[in-house]
Amino acid sequence: MVTIRRLSTASIAAIAAMGAAPGVTAGEIGQPARLTVEVTDRDGQPVGDVVIYATKDGADDDRQPHPAPAIMDQIGTAFVPHILVIQVGSLVDFPNSDNISHHVYSFSEAKPLELPLYRGTTHPPLVFDVPGLVILGCNIHDEMLGYILVVDTPYFSQSNVDGQAKLVGLPPGDYSIRVWTPRLRENSLPPDLQIALIDAENRQISVRFTEKLSPPHTSDRGGLSRPVY
Amino acid sequence: MQACQTNRSLRTRPCLAGLLLCLWTLSAPAENDAHVLTAGIEGSFVQTSTPLTSWLEGGLGKLRNDENTDGLSLYHSFMNYSGRLTPTLNVKATLIYNPEQSSGLDFSEAFLEFRPVPRTAWRARFRVGAFYPHITMENIDVAWTSPYTLSSSTINTWLAEEVRTVGLESRFGRNFGANGQHGLNVEGAIYWLNDPTGALLSAKGWSLHDRQTGITGELPLRFGTTFEPFKELDHRAGYYVGGEYRYGKRLTFRYHHYNNHGDPTQGPDWGDTWQTFFDAAGLQLSLPWDVGLIGQWIDGRTIWQGFDAGFDAWSTLLTRPFGKHRVSIRYDDFYLDQALLGGGVQELDRGSAWTVAWLFHHSQKLRFALEWLEIESTRPQFVSAGFPATVAETQIIVSVRYLLSNQPN
Repeated sequence: MVTIRRLSTASIAAIAAMGAAPGVTAGEIGQPARLTVEVTDRDGQPVGDVVIYATKDGADDDRQPHPAPAIMDQIGTAFVPHILVIQVGSLVDFPNSDNISHHVYSFSEAKPLELPLYRGTTHPPLVFDVPGLVILGCNIHDEMLGYILVVDTPYFSQSNVDGQAKLVGLPPGDYSIRVWTPRLRENSLPPDLQIALIDAENRQISVRFTEKLSPPHTSDRGGLSRPVY
Repeated sequence: MQACQTNRSLRTRPCLAGLLLCLWTLSAPAENDAHVLTAGIEGSFVQTSTPLTSWLEGGLGKLRNDENTDGLSLYHSFMNYSGRLTPTLNVKATLIYNPEQSSGLDFSEAFLEFRPVPRTAWRARFRVGAFYPHITMENIDVAWTSPYTLSSSTINTWLAEEVRTVGLESRFGRNFGANGQHGLNVEGAIYWLNDPTGALLSAKGWSLHDRQTGITGELPLRFGTTFEPFKELDHRAGYYVGGEYRYGKRLTFRYHHYNNHGDPTQGPDWGDTWQTFFDAAGLQLSLPWDVGLIGQWIDGRTIWQGFDAGFDAWSTLLTRPFGKHRVSIRYDDFYLDQALLGGGVQELDRGSAWTVAWLFHHSQKLRFALEWLEIESTRPQFVSAGFPATVAETQIIVSVRYLLSNQPN
């Protein structure tokens, strides 16, 4: 479960300094709003890599995804980034920066895919045109795990190491705020939060997980790890 | 035992020539990693302190060397090939150097691996050929070596001596829970060519060393005879089933039940068919302060004609990396007995061992190592051979290993 509370609003002067989110065009009715989300665990500690995205209620958003492909790299036998969030319709490139081959696959309904053994940039970018979660694996290295979350909105962000996520360029209106992390089961994720944003509002909310998060994905085997050269 | 006492040095020259010929092929780096050849050249200086002759020379010693065979050697060297026939079909083979063996070079493993791309959360993996079962928790490095010590534990030493799967293995696994933190693998195998498994253990008891028997290799047995551990006499398939649970990267627990399903009435010689079955478990745990713990346990029986032996062993290893250095300490405990006709058992081998190892990875290719090992064991055979009932053996190995590979960096 999650608790979300409104912290404050900001002035129009503060809004003027903001930039627009990628893929967001000017010309909205009213001044865009800004949403800052503070994410903490049940002990009050900041949590990074939590996805926050906002979908606007009552109207289809016709903003197009960024034309340049997003990057899901493979470095050190790991997917980098571990979690990639993209707008539906986006392209994703899967370069392999390791000096060993990987065989990327996914059996997720949102985008079943297979990129047979390769290094470098053998395969062209793929388009992700169905919203949902795409879980990535490598058929050579079973320990590799990555996520692509395809969202039907241009307004998304991920919390940084300080647990802070910022969504900018939000047109005034009613939104559903969604929170996602692979460290909770789907049925343990917090319910959507409904908020209304007014012109030039600078809203701050906090998200606090009340359930214990599973540990972050890591290749660190502690005392059994291989030497680093 | 004469077959095993032939001059090692005479065999060393042609074997080394063959090894160097293979290494020559490494001089041309591959354009990709579809065919990877890795050679480990390891020069070791071994110094033992034991009144016993090595089991490999027909004696009662538990080490690979004894005071007569101490000195410089290259017998830890190996060559490993990994090739991809298709994106999901691999071939893997490991060539080892055993100067005591007539051929000198032999394969310790050679198998095909099929890794179909998963269509569900379950992954399927298949191996066919000659390979080690997934029992060891320590010998996980290239060529079935350990990244923690030079000498294997008693359990893994025995697996290297006379346990190999020559058959088909199927493995199914999946992750579950949030972020795939929980992992589960189940596997099963049927195999042949493992009828004599148990003959060596019941004859000489437990050992600690780094020698792996080649799949066409011979081993010394009692009364000056030798036997081939990997042969088929009763035409009955053996099996094993096992499972593994993993939590993150920090905890792994593994269990196997193994039964070679041998017909112990087949074959009049000690090196013929044994019925050998055991349960084996392993635990791998990452502790605080960057300390890793590995524990293994085995308990089983091996039967040939009227000879019925029970065996068990366990080991615990603590290890910690210090940058490019690693220090490990391991304790081994082992036991072997024989069931008596009138009831009860007679102890054949009981003892324990300490191993302390320091490994320094100067680079990915160059490794220096120093290991000290002490075994104390009690055997009735010691007394009948004129030794005290309990004998302590110590060994120091200093080694330098250089890895050559055609894999592009």
